[in-house]
Amino acid sequence: MALFSPPRAQRVTFLVLREMRTPMLVLISTYAFAILGMTLMPGKDGGHMSVFHAFYFVMYTATTTGFGELPQEFSNAQRLWAVVCLFITVVGWLYAVGAIIRLLQNVYFQRTLAEGRFTRAVQRLPRDFFIVCGFGDTGSILTRGLSNAGISAAILEKDDVRIKALQLRDYTVPMPGLCCDATLPQHLLEAGLQSPHCQGLVALTHNEEANLKIAAVARLLNPSVRIIVMSGSEMHEETVATLGRRTHFVDPFKTFAKELGAAICNPYLYLFNEWLARAKGAALDKEITPLPKGHWIICGFGRMGREVHKVMTEYGLSVAVIDEGEPGSEYPMDIFIRGSATAKTLKAGGIERAVGVVAATDDDGRNLSILINARALNPKVFMIVRQNRHQNELAFSAAKADIIMQPSLIAARRVLFMLTAPLLRRFFIDLLESHATHPERITDLIKRLRHVLGAEPPHLFTLKILDEQSPALWGALGGDVEISLGDLLRDPRDRRVSLHTVPLVVRSDDGVTYMPAKSFRLRRNDRVLLCGTEAAHRMLEATVHNEYTLYYLVTGRDKPRAYWMRWLRRGQGKDPHNGWPKSILSNE
Amino acid sequence: MNLEKVVFGFFIVLAFTLNFGFFLGEMDNPQYHQVYELFVVVVVNLIATVLKLGDRTQIGAILLSTSLVADLELISAAIYWTVVVHITESGLTPDVTATIVSLSGGALMANIVSVIMVVSETLMLRR
Repeated sequence: MALFSPPRAQRVTFLVLREMRTPMLVLISTYAFAILGMTLMPGKDGGHMSVFHAFYFVMYTATTTGFGELPQEFSNAQRLWAVVCLFITVVGWLYAVGAIIRLLQNVYFQRTLAEGRFTRAVQRLPRDFFIVCGFGDTGSILTRGLSNAGISAAILEKDDVRIKALQLRDYTVPMPGLCCDATLPQHLLEAGLQSPHCQGLVALTHNEEANLKIAAVARLLNPSVRIIVMSGSEMHEETVATLGRRTHFVDPFKTFAKELGAAICNPYLYLFNEWLARAKGAALDKEITPLPKGHWIICGFGRMGREVHKVMTEYGLSVAVIDEGEPGSEYPMDIFIRGSATAKTLKAGGIERAVGVVAATDDDGRNLSILINARALNPKVFMIVRQNRHQNELAFSAAKADIIMQPSLIAARRVLFMLTAPLLRRFFIDLLESHATHPERITDLIKRLRHVLGAEPPHLFTLKILDEQSPALWGALGGDVEISLGDLLRDPRDRRVSLHTVPLVVRSDDGVTYMPAKSFRLRRNDRVLLCGTEAAHRMLEATVHNEYTLYYLVTGRDKPRAYWMRWLRRGQGKDPHNGWPKSILSNE
Repeated sequence: MNLEKVVFGFFIVLAFTLNFGFFLGEMDNPQYHQVYELFVVVVVNLIATVLKLGDRTQIGAILLSTSLVADLELISAAIYWTVVVHITESGLTPDVTATIVSLSGGALMANIVSVIMVVSETLMLRR
């Protein structure tokens, strides 16, 4: 049920026609007048021009083509009329063309055209897509990630310049964009919010109020769509939670603080996360340097400073805070120094004995100067720096901080994982929870990934055992055929070898299995999260689409392909199981 | 050893080689082009087409279509041959022969495509 239908091409046609009504009438009447006059003028031999010849003459004269005096030389009376024709028809033409140009320059008309183009582009998207509202730093990083994963997105952005930038990007899949206010329901519908292929909406605009509004409107228009909202305030989080089950909230500062917590207490998990997100310089065989435990100084007590402070005090580190404002009584702290972070306040915060400094203000220049000051006073100090703007990349990489925290990047990564690998978060939670009892799980996993992938960059993908997405596998699992995960992950070129993938999670109808064994029996509707090479992903995609490859992987034999071979085999007994040997059928 | 692949490969390569044999020789000289050879080529090509029926993969579909192209061209050549010899009775003049042989050349191209596809599919699966 659509509450509102997006603009169709008819609307544009209608506008053009309405705008052209007067010019058309002017053209028709001047032509008629000129043609009629031409037929009435006496010619050289006393005869008159026929209507057709007059029509022909006026046609080429009005457009200033001018073939000369056809079909024969004119009399002076006809020449006189030809002058009249020239004036009235050319002026009529100019007027009509001017009206068209005026219409094309009309901002409202251009917007209507753009909306129509965008709507059609969204409708033409071949597969599932997401809606991204806001194409700032976070939005563009997220879109790049989606493009690498081969997923399209419809992008709504208020700033015209950003949309122009979007049109110049080299994405692997179509990414239609529209310059508009995404809080208006009409634009969300144009972006395909009610389309069955819409997999979710992400609100990442700079304005957090707008993000909230977009989420609320989207929830009303499509009760079942996934919604992800980025914001940094607790109040918004509560509001978003009221929007129902499939709504998620991403707070870049909290996310970072959690990662920091992991880096303090569980460095392997932190490394794993960085590697999965393909962070710069992250590799599985990197030497792990856990965050030093001791005295820390946090400069800037804004949203990031508060979150980091919370985490650090939870882990029992001693923390000094330097900030210009009052912290408020709800944050109990050991040392609070009022003022901006300078050499003097850093000394008062105990920089000589500190193991680390967090520069967390919302001004990049200030953060870099804190880093330089702190390094001068204590060269061994561990530096965590917040980078607010993506454009300052070069300055930050030259500063050689130990950890650079970019809220836009962190949020984009987080959202990208939510969209492309929704099972990953559960997996991380499971790893964290089991860490106390089985600390070897994560190290084993990293060893295994290192063994399977070598130096290849990680590629996460989710295999969905559904009819449209893996038809061959779906069909085979419909019978009594038993297919294990290990069988599916064999190499189609040689089944004795496994593909370079590691299954991380399987979600079945009756529960979730972490790090499933090779013997795990697959069923319809399962979702499998795998981490492997891109080549392995392509192989697996081919396998789940090709019944013959699948048959070979499971049985080690080739399935008869052509009719004549099946007819030959028919003599060996009727086969109720679509050609699957009895040895691998389940006894259920 | 896979019986299906053996039979299938045999007929595809046989169709290709016989086709080449018929095509070889002076374009417009009927002495170089035997009617029996054309007959066998048509029959073997049709058998190869039938063997490809039923494969539900992409590559199977493309193989079937190339095979159908070869059939179309060879059967056209055979019909043309019959018409000039028995109906218009103009006989195998050089230009008629050239037309028949060039049609078989087109079929040869389609058969080459078939062979390349079968070989490359086999090479992809190193087993």
